[in-house]
Amino acid sequence: MSKLRQHKLFSLGLFLVLVVISLCIVSFFYLPQDPNVMNTINRFQSPSKEFLLGTDQFGRDILSRIMISSRYALFIGLVSVFLGAVVGIVIGALAATANGWLETILMRFIDGLMAFPGILLAMMLVAVLGKGLWNAVIAIAIFMIPVFSRLTYSLVLDQKNQLYVKAARSYGASKSRIIFKHILPMILPRLITQFSASIGSAILIESSLSFLGLGVQPPNASWGLMLSESRQYMLTYAYLAVPPGIILMITVLGFNLIGDAWNDSIVSRRMAE
Amino acid sequence: MLSFIVKRLISGLTVLFFISIITFFVLRWMPGDPATLSLGTEGTPEKIAELQEVMGLNLPWYQQYYHWLQDLFSGDWGSSYVFGEDVMTLIIQRLPVTLLLAAVSMVIVIPFAFIIGIMSALFKERWVDYIARSLMQLGDAIPQFWLALIFLVFFASKLGWFPVAGYVGFDNGILASIHSVLLPAIVLAIGQVGPLIRIIRSSMLSSLEQDYMLMTQVNGLPKTLAIVKYALRGASIAPLTIIGMQLANMLAGAILVENIFALPGIGRLLLMTVEQRDLILLQGMLIFVTSAVVLVNILTDICYRLANPMIRFGGNHE
Repeated sequence: MSKLRQHKLFSLGLFLVLVVISLCIVSFFYLPQDPNVMNTINRFQSPSKEFLLGTDQFGRDILSRIMISSRYALFIGLVSVFLGAVVGIVIGALAATANGWLETILMRFIDGLMAFPGILLAMMLVAVLGKGLWNAVIAIAIFMIPVFSRLTYSLVLDQKNQLYVKAARSYGASKSRIIFKHILPMILPRLITQFSASIGSAILIESSLSFLGLGVQPPNASWGLMLSESRQYMLTYAYLAVPPGIILMITVLGFNLIGDAWNDSIVSRRMAE
Repeated sequence: MLSFIVKRLISGLTVLFFISIITFFVLRWMPGDPATLSLGTEGTPEKIAELQEVMGLNLPWYQQYYHWLQDLFSGDWGSSYVFGEDVMTLIIQRLPVTLLLAAVSMVIVIPFAFIIGIMSALFKERWVDYIARSLMQLGDAIPQFWLALIFLVFFASKLGWFPVAGYVGFDNGILASIHSVLLPAIVLAIGQVGPLIRIIRSSMLSSLEQDYMLMTQVNGLPKTLAIVKYALRGASIAPLTIIGMQLANMLAGAILVENIFALPGIGRLLLMTVEQRDLILLQGMLIFVTSAVVLVNILTDICYRLANPMIRFGGNHE
């Protein structure tokens, strides 16, 4: 892929993500209307000067609710991927350095987790832990573990036989020192790439869970929840379903583009070497 | 080859073992014990204790696990609290709807992905490729449930091309059944197409760079013939490897899509199970779905080996 195109896609992704981040930051200082105030006189208002994106079935301002939702989306996305990444990286690194039965057990366990289709694993955990924000975070974090442990596992295996690791070993560096001081910095770019790409899918899972009524609970707002609430009225008031879906897509697209562009730049750098 | 199959089966069984462990423990971690739950309002402390004894809940966990596994293998998957029916029966009742949905969606997605993926590889870095890749990015980012809602409003309600909700059984003819799942199947297909195009494109690109393609040029084979006869063949093996993943994604998508289009399949049953916290049914469905994914993964790995001559004839291409 050409450098220029890579750069363009990265900029586009960054721009989209920045839009959402600024929406989130602004929501802490300014909201056009109170997102939770119900006002039946104002229900189902089409977009107007007062309500830029219209109002929902309770007369709540859709724009304000979208802005508030961005907090949940970014929070859940970042925190769940971070937690999943930490656990996943530890498991992957452990499996790659420990030979024999521990390696087999860890990786088969990860394969087992992987066999649960994404949202199904999250649903199972929500069934056990109960509905709600933190349980959604934990559920998505567990879903993220196999992705990171598999990647770390293969990356560490790849690095293990490199000359610099052999050199470190010959100096008598300990296993943990080799992993943390030598190998981890080398593979960090790939892990960060995965991190960015995973945030997009984490936000998608959050919104799917909320859509099914298993994630963020009313009266709080989440893009998925907003779409779920609009379902009943969609046939008459189709405008209700457009804004939450578009902002959700923009967010996911943004994180995916950044991840892809990073990944491509790493790959093409590798090929150049 | 035989040793590979055996090895693959053993590792598949280990994975299934871990799945059973994960399911067993996660669901026992759930607050409230099954005896109290199944007695409901009729539960007196004596009755609960009695039922706990009968259900073997007083035994140490490994014995409980062992008994549970025994039941699982003997086909006794317990009965659901909510429906009061056998778990196996419930799953088998719902399965045809989901299978039909998945099959129709596959029939849409595979030719589409092959055409786009191959075109995109043949016209690399040209506008066809750019459009294909933009479509892939969009396909990955569009929330499936949102797309389902939009399609429902537009194609079913406004244009009236499809039923708004519900499933038409096989008794009314196969075509009517297919028509009733067509719109949800299209939504599922759009969610699936991204990864498939990506892998077809990249395997086609690497196939085009192989020495045998150079050889066809040297031999003066027309380009189209060379592509159809050799490059395509080389490129059609790699997509096999992600079929298991696609199946898992499709089942996940089915949970959302079936709920929006009110299709009485596995996905809808799953959501009900989670909402009602029907432990026995949930456990049965989890084991069923994950085993299906593992099984398909084993089969595709074996097919991959069989289809790839480089591996089949003992090359060391790993």
